[in-house]
Amino acid sequence: MITQEDVVLYIKNIPPTPGVVRQALTFAREGELIKAAKCAQEDPALRLYLKTLVNRPIYGFKNEVSDVGQIFGILGVAATQQTLYNYLLSLLTPKKWELFPLTNHQFYDLQASLSKEWENILIHLHIKDKEVYSAISLIPATIIVCDALFASKKKEVEQLRSVKALDYNTILKRLSGYDLFDLAAEIGKMWEMSDKTIALIRSASGTHQGLVGEQKMLAQWIHLLLFYLFSQSTYVSAGLNEFIDFQIDFVHDIYDSFSQVVPSI
Amino acid sequence: MRAVVKGRVGIFHLQGFLDGNNAPSFLTIDDIKATEALNIDMLLVSLKKVIFFNKNGLDVFVKLFTHIRTLKHISVGFCDYDHTKFKAINTFYAGEINFSLFKSEKIAELFVSSNKSDPKTILLYNEDPSQRSAMAIELFDYGHNPVIAQSFAEFETKKKTPELYYAIIEDTLLGYFGQKVATRVTGNAVIYTISNFLDAEIGNNFNIAYHTNSLNVGFRLFIFDAFKVVSMNIHALNFFTKLASSAAEYNAAICFVGMTFEKTPETFKNDLEDAGIMFFDTMDEILKNKELLQELGGGGGTTIKQQRILNKTLINELPHFIDATVSTLNMMTNAQAIKNSVSIQPLTIANPADQFASSIGFYGDLDGLIILIFPKTIAKKACELLIGEGEITDEEILDSLAEFVNIIGGRAKVLLSENKKRLDITLPRTYSDMDTLMEIARHKKGVQVDLSFNGEKFIFFLTR
Repeated sequence: MITQEDVVLYIKNIPPTPGVVRQALTFAREGELIKAAKCAQEDPALRLYLKTLVNRPIYGFKNEVSDVGQIFGILGVAATQQTLYNYLLSLLTPKKWELFPLTNHQFYDLQASLSKEWENILIHLHIKDKEVYSAISLIPATIIVCDALFASKKKEVEQLRSVKALDYNTILKRLSGYDLFDLAAEIGKMWEMSDKTIALIRSASGTHQGLVGEQKMLAQWIHLLLFYLFSQSTYVSAGLNEFIDFQIDFVHDIYDSFSQVVPSI
Repeated sequence: MRAVVKGRVGIFHLQGFLDGNNAPSFLTIDDIKATEALNIDMLLVSLKKVIFFNKNGLDVFVKLFTHIRTLKHISVGFCDYDHTKFKAINTFYAGEINFSLFKSEKIAELFVSSNKSDPKTILLYNEDPSQRSAMAIELFDYGHNPVIAQSFAEFETKKKTPELYYAIIEDTLLGYFGQKVATRVTGNAVIYTISNFLDAEIGNNFNIAYHTNSLNVGFRLFIFDAFKVVSMNIHALNFFTKLASSAAEYNAAICFVGMTFEKTPETFKNDLEDAGIMFFDTMDEILKNKELLQELGGGGGTTIKQQRILNKTLINELPHFIDATVSTLNMMTNAQAIKNSVSIQPLTIANPADQFASSIGFYGDLDGLIILIFPKTIAKKACELLIGEGEITDEEILDSLAEFVNIIGGRAKVLLSENKKRLDITLPRTYSDMDTLMEIARHKKGVQVDLSFNGEKFIFFLTR
């Protein structure tokens, strides 16, 4: 159905970071938000993306914010970096979603919700690490990769799933040795994200054994946050609730804390 | 979301959070229609991966349960939960639970018909004595050996030796249970348990689809355990005589065991005997008498007089069945299966040792039986996508082979529907030794296709 060669080919074709965004990211990593904004200003698509993103209801601004410098100022260093990665990811989104009945508008809403809720979680956990902050932006890459690899295999997967509750992540792992989180991590590598961020993305599948300390704790929070969002009506209808396997035992010990940070669905 | 069907059980596997806002999104109108069309005896919602639920969320599925139970008279309920979730559901629906609760999928499967014939020993406790008895009776009717703990203390003591039991039943509750006639399989015989006063309702309660499936996959002996029958009326009599006539087409035997005619007219017995039904006083009279068992068909196919032969229509569709098999194997393994030879002959297995087999029957515009015989290594490889790698027991491989052959049946159904041919498929059956398979297939002529996969041979056999 999907071979290791298909996956390797997919990884090969991940586009590199566009020059303007790469430069803006470099400035953002150094905390130079004014310089980052000047760079970002040069890319009209990025400008429009930033404007649309921060004016989504989840950010809660009463008046429209449109100036890139102002947007970066409001977001702060860590969130600016994260938002630039979100933009990069938006460049990978398909024109038409084939596997999931999803619109790009809904996908961007998911990105925004993940970013905002992740910010709340990191505040709760007293974590200020920019790399950890950015990690969440790569998680929706799993959905993009899944749609790209499985779009032409929809019928076959339906037949498999009629007899066994298998998720796409497990199917891919068993067929190719890679899972969707590995592929999201490959995208992170291509975009020169830090090793720490990439390791965190991989571990968010909840299936890796032997995780310890902060990496395990953050992976638990990302995993539960994903399923919190995938349980919302829009994403249930889009089929995202079923696309990866929820590791309920993996997140059990953080559930009570999670329910204090994130409002009920 | 669609229910996953395993044997006669359909299960919705929910994940994450479930409340009144998102629950309706799990079930579109198409999903409900697809659920209505399923050929199952039990519909469940698994809560294993649900980390949070409230009553409004569950209510959406409880409404579906009520609808499906009314429509199809099957068992419905929730499964796969821990003690906290069990208590929560009981609190939400205190005194008004009209669905069942099964602590695990494994426990739920004990309360439905299957093609497996090994009786299981099960430890059982419920503080409500009526629940205890109801569960014990159901388990017994499905051919298992329930060990009932009469007190919590006794249960706790017995629980300390879990290796003695296939399953330990607690935190389980039978709601309005399905009205279907309990069915179990012993060797090559299918046993139905009937009870009380038999009237026209037997037509609704008896699972005729399962019976037809059983005939199609090769069962030839059907025993009605009638010890608990008080009496029957003319409608039930008509039902059984018709059943006997349809069984005759397959040279199948129908027997009644333990039926007394104290409150039933003796003429009914004569009518039933005229229709070909035989009467016995005890199960052992049949099951422990090898000669009789052989003669009745429960020991194999030796007595079949009118062999159902291959016909042109079936052979014309052979490429579809082979395509379905090869493409399923390709899909599941990412490797090519190669067709080596095709011939019309009785099933011939060159090396019967270390082989597994599975079969699935189909009926409708065409009828017949697909049999697949694999070396164990190939069977394991073919099922890796379904079960994963690592240490896998023979039972797990056989269970997955059943799923595998089910997918083949499903694909064949789709391929043939493109030629406007409508098919229904039966429950799959698996065989861990070739002697049992040969008991049903020895005298059948069919199309044998020898295929190879990764250098090893396997057999596809299509027959009627």
